[in-house]
Amino acid sequence: MEERKSSKRCGGVLPFIIGFLATCVLGWAVIPGLFFEEIEQPIRFSHAIHVEDQGMECDSCHNFREDGSYAGFPSNEGCADCHAVEAEEVMEAIAEAGIDPADYDAIMKAELDAIEGSLLSSSDENKQAEREYVVKYLIQGKEVPWLNYQYQPDNVYFSHQAHAALDIAEMAELKNELSSVVDKSVFDEPAEQNCNLCHLKDIDKSDTPPPFERNVLSGYSKMTMKMWKCERCHALKGQPNACYTCHK
Amino acid sequence: MSVGATVGILFTPTVWTALDDVSIWTQNWPWIPTLKYGEVKGVPTVSKMCESGCAVKVRTVAGEAFGTEGNVDNPISGGGICPLCANGVQVMNSPTRIKAPMLKGAEISWDEAKQLVTEKLAAAGNKVAVISGDQTGTINEVFSALLTSQGSDAFYVMPCEMQAADKAWSGLMGGSGQVGYDLENADVVLLAGADALESWGPTVANMKAFAANESGKFLFAGPVQTRTAAVTSKWVPVPTEGMAAFTLGLCYYVMQAGRSVPAADFEQFKAMVMSGYTPAKVEAATGVSADTMADIARTLLSASNPVVIPSGSVAADAAAFALNLLLGGAMKVLPEFAKAIDGAMSRSEMLKKDILQGVSADLLLVYEANPAYALPEQVKAGFTVAFDCVETETTAAADLVLPTPHSFERFDDLASPYGLAAATYALGAPVSKPTVSVMNAGDFVLGLAALGFETFEDVLDAKVAAIGADKRALVGGAVHVLAETPDLSGVTLASSVLGKAAVPVKGSGAVALAPYTLLNVGTANQATTPNAPCTISNNQLVGDFLVVMMASVTAKKLGVDVGSKVKLSGGSGECSALVQIYEGVLPGVVAAPLGLGHTVGDEFSKGKGDNVYKILTVSSEAATGTSTWAGSTVNIAKI
Repeated sequence: MEERKSSKRCGGVLPFIIGFLATCVLGWAVIPGLFFEEIEQPIRFSHAIHVEDQGMECDSCHNFREDGSYAGFPSNEGCADCHAVEAEEVMEAIAEAGIDPADYDAIMKAELDAIEGSLLSSSDENKQAEREYVVKYLIQGKEVPWLNYQYQPDNVYFSHQAHAALDIAEMAELKNELSSVVDKSVFDEPAEQNCNLCHLKDIDKSDTPPPFERNVLSGYSKMTMKMWKCERCHALKGQPNACYTCHK
Repeated sequence: MSVGATVGILFTPTVWTALDDVSIWTQNWPWIPTLKYGEVKGVPTVSKMCESGCAVKVRTVAGEAFGTEGNVDNPISGGGICPLCANGVQVMNSPTRIKAPMLKGAEISWDEAKQLVTEKLAAAGNKVAVISGDQTGTINEVFSALLTSQGSDAFYVMPCEMQAADKAWSGLMGGSGQVGYDLENADVVLLAGADALESWGPTVANMKAFAANESGKFLFAGPVQTRTAAVTSKWVPVPTEGMAAFTLGLCYYVMQAGRSVPAADFEQFKAMVMSGYTPAKVEAATGVSADTMADIARTLLSASNPVVIPSGSVAADAAAFALNLLLGGAMKVLPEFAKAIDGAMSRSEMLKKDILQGVSADLLLVYEANPAYALPEQVKAGFTVAFDCVETETTAAADLVLPTPHSFERFDDLASPYGLAAATYALGAPVSKPTVSVMNAGDFVLGLAALGFETFEDVLDAKVAAIGADKRALVGGAVHVLAETPDLSGVTLASSVLGKAAVPVKGSGAVALAPYTLLNVGTANQATTPNAPCTISNNQLVGDFLVVMMASVTAKKLGVDVGSKVKLSGGSGECSALVQIYEGVLPGVVAAPLGLGHTVGDEFSKGKGDNVYKILTVSSEAATGTSTWAGSTVNIAKI
């Protein structure tokens, strides 16, 4: 009886521990990654070229309402201020070349003068990205379906204006408390502006945008800030956490 | 192992994160509407929903209109907007939009419509008429040029203050141009029936001028203490039909003080007033005491820049213009802008025909007007073509309905709304693309006859060129102002006519009817708009019942009280209403709001209240040769 008891105890604990450890490893290291699928942006957009080289500001392209809330990506109308292409002229050139207007690859390969003359980039890689934009969207009259890394649902009110004065150096003092909200690396070399607190780190300097990580369950972005994260930061900074603060 | 695995998984974020994500997933059903994101703009244009029109900015996001606001850059409105135009986008997206040409209820193509109207025009010859609901647009040039090409002069506008003023100024007094009033710079303003801060004239500009004119003294005369009267220094109760006599009573004191006008008939006018409109006679005719008139006259005489603003009949307008000429104050005369189309009528010619005397034609073209609602008895036609963007009583009754683009979907213009102190011209370009099969009425009419233009936009280009304005600046929201001053040398005081026309004439009903307009309730052409009903007070509408107001002494005489359900009979119709007691109504008068009681339209206007236009009495102001609703009376019975 004694031996059987001992054996049963031993036989129960070990599998329990194995099962416990196995799912712990899976749950911490493997499964979280399965929640997301990577999707590339429709075309390569270089923030580095536009921000650093051309000296553009965030609101040169990104739209904000008067209260500082985000209002959307740039439209072709805005892009065409610089990337000016006569769509009708290009379409005529495509027809003259005997190319199917829906065959984007063929149009790009043809390197038509009507398109090439309007490209502003100098390197081949950048030229190709610009060409892709012109062919697939601008001349077609279609808006680029950009993927929003910081997507927040419509029922969340977030004003950039209200958060503009948030000092990232001051926030660094709370980096341990905020470790589950903000990646600590953001505080390593604090930038002048606080954009990195919520946006992809140094996205304004990126040459090729990273893939968008879509949550397969919720459909939201991996970067979508969940409510508890907003609340944690508000609480730490002594800001109100009433429903109406963010849900208008 | 499975127990361990189960416990182990609970020590990871997996389950909790998954539950959180699933809870978010449940918030994202495909039928939940989502916001449109994109650049938010305020695009300047003009709105033609109110009689004067408003210079507005249409708010768009990613190019899609979602709201309307005043244009702060516009010097006339200064960012203000009227209650009708404020809901322009909602009306543009209304389910009552007419979606395609309709012939007796059946959809037809635009080509078929054009062929049909061409045939009807040919058959009608000169028996073709036009009723326009637009007082300020160059579209009227297109319609009037079509009439001219057909040999017809039957151009009608819906009854309006501009028409009464023109008939008085141009018709009786021999003036040219359009009368205006400088409210902002006047030091005394007598509103002789003009509900200027609520519905008369360019309401938004009037309110801006009223707010800016802090030192000015405003007086209101009329049968009802309206909202305008409520914020003026003094309300002088004057019956509508007595307004001309009251004004001539003021002329008496002004001329007694030695004022004169270099008009050919001044002496005749003076003699007429001094004998026929003495304070005692005017008091007997209108109920306004001689002391009150003397006091108002003193106030006007002591002012350096006074102005009297009339409303109502042609006689009342002529009397006020005569008084303004005697006072020499802030009444202005505006020049007319040059025409774009040679064969078109001038504004004064367009205002000549009296729609209250009836319209009869083989072919009637109705442009964004609603005579079937406001003038159901007066308009008869063999074949009616209604141009409008939403369903109305007129489109429901018309043989052929042709959908027009909404104001925000088309090129349109706004020339000198009546009441402004300067000749102004504003232009609007399309902000939104139409989502239904529409055609600008101008384009349609230009396709019927050779009027020298292919499209209405070409006509507007010609108009802009003719007046020397800059189209790009106008489309950007600028206003072109014409500074010329018309010649006043030939103006007379219409003494021979005014002496007879100013005598108060009242109907035979028991109670005088004082109809009034509130823009949030609607106008003759435009029903209330989607967001406006919540601003309509219990003094106009309770539930689906029209509310009429009267003083307690009137109610007592009629044996009714607050909430009594009554029937008002007048003209050739009846209205049912609830009674409200308001001591701001002259005894013996019942005040009733116009604009309710639609039988066609959206959920916000259809079946709400009753149509007061049905009980208005058209009477002939014989001396001026015009018709008027002033002097309407009703009988009231409790039900």
